[in-house]
Amino acid sequence: MTYLIALLPLILVCATAVAVMLGIAWQRHHASTVLTAVVGLNLALLSLVAVHQVAPFETLLVAVDGLAIFGAVLVLVSTLACATLAHAYLEHYRGPREEFYLLLLCAAAGGLVLVSSRHMATLFFGLELLSMPLYGMLAYAFHERRSLEAGIKYLVLSAAATAFLLFGMALAYAQTGRLDLAGLTAGLGEGGGAWGLAGAGLILVGLGFKLSLVPFHLWTPDVYEGGPGPAATFLASASKVAVVIVLLRLVIESPAFAHVGVHQILAVLAFASMLIGNLLALTQANLKRLLGYSSIAHFGYLLVALVVAEGLAVETAAVYLVMYVVTTLGAFGVVTLVSSRDISGDAAALHHYRGLFWRRPYLTAVLTVALLSLAGIPFTAGFIGKFYIVALGVEAGRWWLVGGLIVGSAIGLYYYLRVMVTLYLVEPGMQRHDAPHDWGTRAGGVVVLGLAALVVLLGVYPTPIIEWAAALGVAHG
Amino acid sequence: MNEETSGLVAQYWAIGFFVFAVLALCTFMIVAASLLGGRSQGRSKTLPYESGILGTGSARQRYSVKFYLVAMLFVIFDIEAVFLFAWAVSLREVGWTGFLGAAVFIFILLAGLVYDTRVGALDWAPKGRTPRP
Repeated sequence: MTYLIALLPLILVCATAVAVMLGIAWQRHHASTVLTAVVGLNLALLSLVAVHQVAPFETLLVAVDGLAIFGAVLVLVSTLACATLAHAYLEHYRGPREEFYLLLLCAAAGGLVLVSSRHMATLFFGLELLSMPLYGMLAYAFHERRSLEAGIKYLVLSAAATAFLLFGMALAYAQTGRLDLAGLTAGLGEGGGAWGLAGAGLILVGLGFKLSLVPFHLWTPDVYEGGPGPAATFLASASKVAVVIVLLRLVIESPAFAHVGVHQILAVLAFASMLIGNLLALTQANLKRLLGYSSIAHFGYLLVALVVAEGLAVETAAVYLVMYVVTTLGAFGVVTLVSSRDISGDAAALHHYRGLFWRRPYLTAVLTVALLSLAGIPFTAGFIGKFYIVALGVEAGRWWLVGGLIVGSAIGLYYYLRVMVTLYLVEPGMQRHDAPHDWGTRAGGVVVLGLAALVVLLGVYPTPIIEWAAALGVAHG
Repeated sequence: MNEETSGLVAQYWAIGFFVFAVLALCTFMIVAASLLGGRSQGRSKTLPYESGILGTGSARQRYSVKFYLVAMLFVIFDIEAVFLFAWAVSLREVGWTGFLGAAVFIFILLAGLVYDTRVGALDWAPKGRTPRP
């Protein structure tokens, strides 16, 4: 019985996916499909309260603990936001619309498995269940070149990364004879050896690809640009959060990992991601590409917590993740809503956004808040996250990384402000108002307005999140 | 270099030599044949050889895309059926819990099959051409 309760969110999400599939088979109806998906996801979110009661629960394959619940909340909230945004986005889409939610639910189930995995089998299973539906979601508008290209690019590169990951697992298994994460890392920490080192490196390559850290980042801008808005939103939020949680488990919960030199490698990756991500974002003329490059930089910042891996590291990573997810959902949500009225492709080129303020003032306000938060301006959520990272880096004496973060933020401020200036430019002969008047009362509008409010609220009053993260830090630090 | 490593190297030098010999032999055969043999030119010399008969038509025939779809669905359901063997060999050990698990598994498969039938993935002949969106 405890077993069933601990896995209840996963069961509910899977059941919703099957229900949506049968619903499509019975009769296609967009609104009721969305309703089913959203109700199922909300039930899963509610069931986390029950899971919390039985919380530290472990089997051979999964560990349902504080970290897993934290990850599950983030994954489910991002999936909910994506589902509502997809409703607005797909309303004018003329192909089959309902399958998108089926793929979304399957990917969410993969994310739930991934955040609670403590065995290589569940890690691999979760990662694949998360990635496979994403291929379909990215190539969903397959009549458009860009979308199809994004899907195929992600498929090929992700398959290559998976091959690296599997080979790394095989080498690590050959060295240690264990597949559970704790035993595996302990075995690697003892002797390591050439095979163990190669295995750890290859696993890191596989996970680094999913997080788009710098040497493995080339797919990110193209896939973000080409994929439909809701799919890119999911890729940027839920998929990355789940992988970060796994990496957090791997690196922080097993201090033995430090002996293999993983921390040095992570430090180099973090530094490179911060600088290269920000530098490449400088000249982008496409908002989605720009957000893609900025997400590379943000995961560089986040890696600082994994490099330090002691003291407040878990708390820092948790706070930063919450801030990142809320902000990213806001920014991508606005891009999705602006694009949703366009039938031919997403409106992502920066010139689409010129003078957006004069046409859609509230959406522009949301985007401005999200960009300010990404830049880390005080009174927004992003500031709290960045403050934590800097404090952690200074305390651990990682001066190179702190320097990289400061330089990266300075560069970042330039291109975020460039976008903001574009938003408020007055253009001669432009339309004054082209938004439908009731957009704010529709689900997608409510979601982005709520996210913007949350960004500001968490920037002014971050105590609840900090307390939650501190509890995680005590349990896992 | 310690004893174990040199032992390993000694053990596998033959494989290294084998790989090298294969590459060298292939290179030798190709290079020697192109140097020694002549190359005759002619109107029909560049045609593909098909038992002395002139080839007809293109090698790139177009199959219906349904062929691939149905083949893929077959493989998928075939693999799912293989998973049931794991249940079959441990039937007595896992008891009713295992039965319940297998029932859920089969139910999900059935739901997938119903979905495939309803969206027309299993129809062999394409329906009348619908206007593309």
